Amino acid sequence: MRARREWSIIRFLLTALALFAVWLLFTASFELFSVAFGIVGSLLIAALTYDVFLAQHEANLRFFVPRPLYLIKFLLLLMFFLYQSSIVMLGSVITGNASPRIVHFRTRLRSDLARMVLANSITFTPGTITLDLNDDHLTVHWFFCNTSHAKAAGEAVKGRMETHIKRVWL
Amino acid sequence: MIWIIREILALIAFSSAVVFGLGGLAGLFRFPDPYSRLQAGSLCGTTAVFSIFIGALLLASDTAVAARIVIIAIFFLMSAPTGSHIVARFTWNAGVYPWKPPKVRTGSARRRKKSRDSSEKRGGAE
Repeated sequence: MRARREWSIIRFLLTALALFAVWLLFTASFELFSVAFGIVGSLLIAALTYDVFLAQHEANLRFFVPRPLYLIKFLLLLMFFLYQSSIVMLGSVITGNASPRIVHFRTRLRSDLARMVLANSITFTPGTITLDLNDDHLTVHWFFCNTSHAKAAGEAVKGRMETHIKRVWL
Repeated sequence: MIWIIREILALIAFSSAVVFGLGGLAGLFRFPDPYSRLQAGSLCGTTAVFSIFIGALLLASDTAVAARIVIIAIFFLMSAPTGSHIVARFTWNAGVYPWKPPKVRTGSARRRKKSRDSSEKRGGAE
């Protein structure tokens, strides 16, 4: 019971901290009234919503606190992949060459947040859309399919993305 | 001098946004089935909006504005794929079988019939 309460307090404080950081970014002022209002507001909203923001079963800090350096690296890589796959998609729109197919594979990521980020990054990187994410099983519509083997398809679609996300979150 | 370089880079970003947006629009009308249309539309649309964010970031006057643009871009990177995923998921649950271009169609007729049967079964179960 005591561990559960401690975990609630940690989640509450993390939620308040995130809300206050966003408040500071959007107001961009350090006046006394603004900062005090931000603290009160973020504490109030955190008290109401911390259970939704950070679910109780995510019982590890590494599940949702990113490692900043790897996060920046991952975002830059994502930008590169976004442009690369967009150019490939433009070529496909012009020539009409495509071999769409639906493939299934599994992921090694463990936390809900990391799986969500993987599904979202798959949705725009190599011409794929995540159709369904069921625990660790992904159903993906792949636009430039060249294999129907589940493991090979998984490696080709997830690529280096999964290892990079695994470094950011668990 | 620095300002001129930033304006030129922003111009390149905005032009690439126009190109990607037009390409996505063309893809939206070119392909025959919902999944492929969604692929072209969402991917090129995301890249177009993201290029506009990069251009705006290059023209940002101070750090506070730039930080806000970064936050908005990150929120957009979360929301855009989620939106296209929801459309694709409902299409999938409605039992739509993906389109295959005629010249790439390989495999025996038996296998094709089998996959069509299984897709019908899945559509019936939903």
